[in-house]
Amino acid sequence: MSRILFAILLATSFGASAQQQWSDPYVPPHVKRSPDYVETSGAALKAQVERKLRDQFESADLAKSGTLTQAQARQAGLMYIADNFPAIDKRGAGVIRFEDVKSFLGL
Amino acid sequence: MDRFPKRLALLAFAATLAACGGGGGAGSSVTVIPPPGGQTLTYTDPNAYSSSANASLTTPNEITSVTQGTVTVGGQAIAYTATTGHLTSLKLGAETPEASFFYVAYTANGKDPATRPVTFFYNGGPGSATVWLHMGSYGPKRLDAQAPAQDVVTPFALVENTESMLDVSDLVFVDAIGSGFSQAISPNRNQTFWGVDADAGAFRDFIRRYIAVNGRAASPKFLFGESYGTTRSAVLVKALETAGVRMSGVVLLSSVLNYNTNCGLGFTAQITCAGYFPSYGAIGAWHQKVVPAVPLPGLPAFAQQLRELTNNVYAPAVTTFLANRGVPDNTTLQSFANATGITVSDWQAQLNLGPDPFRVRLLPGFVLGRYDARMSTPGISPGVDISSTFISTSFAVGLQGYMTDTLKFTNPSVYTFASGAINTWDFSHDGQGLPDTVPDLATALTLNPRLQVLAVSGYHDLATPWFQTERDIARLGANPKVRVKNYPGGHMIYLDNASRVAQKADLADFYRSATQP
Repeated sequence: MSRILFAILLATSFGASAQQQWSDPYVPPHVKRSPDYVETSGAALKAQVERKLRDQFESADLAKSGTLTQAQARQAGLMYIADNFPAIDKRGAGVIRFEDVKSFLGL
Repeated sequence: MDRFPKRLALLAFAATLAACGGGGGAGSSVTVIPPPGGQTLTYTDPNAYSSSANASLTTPNEITSVTQGTVTVGGQAIAYTATTGHLTSLKLGAETPEASFFYVAYTANGKDPATRPVTFFYNGGPGSATVWLHMGSYGPKRLDAQAPAQDVVTPFALVENTESMLDVSDLVFVDAIGSGFSQAISPNRNQTFWGVDADAGAFRDFIRRYIAVNGRAASPKFLFGESYGTTRSAVLVKALETAGVRMSGVVLLSSVLNYNTNCGLGFTAQITCAGYFPSYGAIGAWHQKVVPAVPLPGLPAFAQQLRELTNNVYAPAVTTFLANRGVPDNTTLQSFANATGITVSDWQAQLNLGPDPFRVRLLPGFVLGRYDARMSTPGISPGVDISSTFISTSFAVGLQGYMTDTLKFTNPSVYTFASGAINTWDFSHDGQGLPDTVPDLATALTLNPRLQVLAVSGYHDLATPWFQTERDIARLGANPKVRVKNYPGGHMIYLDNASRVAQKADLADFYRSATQP
């Protein structure tokens, strides 16, 4: 069967009566917007960026020591820290604090 | 949310038919690394792929078909290898199999991978296969939709794409898990990856694997997402940078970076539609309903007037309306009517006008397209989107024939254009019910100050309005590495032949800028 015939068959078989549930982008009715949502920019957005990075750092710091070793950073998939560890560890302590990451990123 | 004409079953049916009618290739076995130029291998993948939430693949394979092609872009003939098949993403850290991603990669022959860029393309939904970008935008072939024409013979012709991006980058079109032929690997289920964060994590792992297998660690790397694909890109680029995969650029096409500020997603009672107002003006101008008339070349200047009217008058008026139901005086409403073509009485009745009511009010008796509001059809229900229904069958038939006849890849399963993922998708992100991914993009720009971003939008798109994207991007602050461009066109800007040419030129500039040493 030729492809043109496929198209004709499709048009007559389904037509415009068939319905789909969504079209991009779409949010199904059961999904709700959080009432406390606040749009950020400027200093508030910068603070949000810092919080996101701090959350990652703290998730990797399983012992809650406030520091990470290069191996711990690698283990957690924080390769931007592991790959740049000597540059971040300016004190040469073998462990870094989140403040060291901030300083490295210019935050 | 209104219901839209079904693409799902229609296309599933098309894919089934075409698969039955297509010629099968021999079951050649090849490695995932493309062989040297000149080789052609067909592949019939015996796996059954499913888009259901519980589907879980137990026999992933990484066998691909390999074909050769040539495309002429700007007078330059580019010989390329097309690789079609699956690649297994490995979970970051554990490096265990996670999902089997279906992709089509176009790699120019004989280029140095240390300097040759590679770009990862994906559509959105969430739950959509990457068929629209693959067959409509910047691959070596495209279906000639000629938007916004509605008298084009269907199915659309498959033509050489003289605006292909293969002159600036290798191109990888990859399907989200549960769409196309992509599927989760056991013990994961498709549903495992149906959420903002899990989906981006799996895409990160696919890209890491693609880079590793194909020796692209040194290549400049780009993301190119459309619609929900831009939401994905913002989360994904942060995830990649965090994982030490340095990216050069992100192209955001028809963005929805923040679901909390798009009033068309069913939240018109709570949030302002100010982000849509300039789109109403651009669309009103197209349909010759604004006063004074604005011919197409005047659109950028008119767009600036619309931004100012929105910022200075419409947005404050809607803020007042949402607080106390107050409506501006008739002189003000007349300025809205002149700027959009929506009558004073309609503005009086519904000041915070969402895109679906707009689609049935601008031209009485007609429904405008949602994806491309330059297109229209007689009717009264926004449940019909002519700009979607007009192209769907052509893309279904076109992809199936192209995959079988040109890419030499066949599979007995139905290629899923749109899964049901969206209905069980975990939209939560960063402690919110709906994703705001501007902070993710800001984090990526912090992790990699050299990263460049280009956001492109269509003036006539009622799904992801251009002015809302400008507002979302503006939150990042002034940054020469983050740029915004708008074009005449709908959601899939590239379907407009003139805008595809203009956009390709801007993309080439962007790639030059983003790959400078």
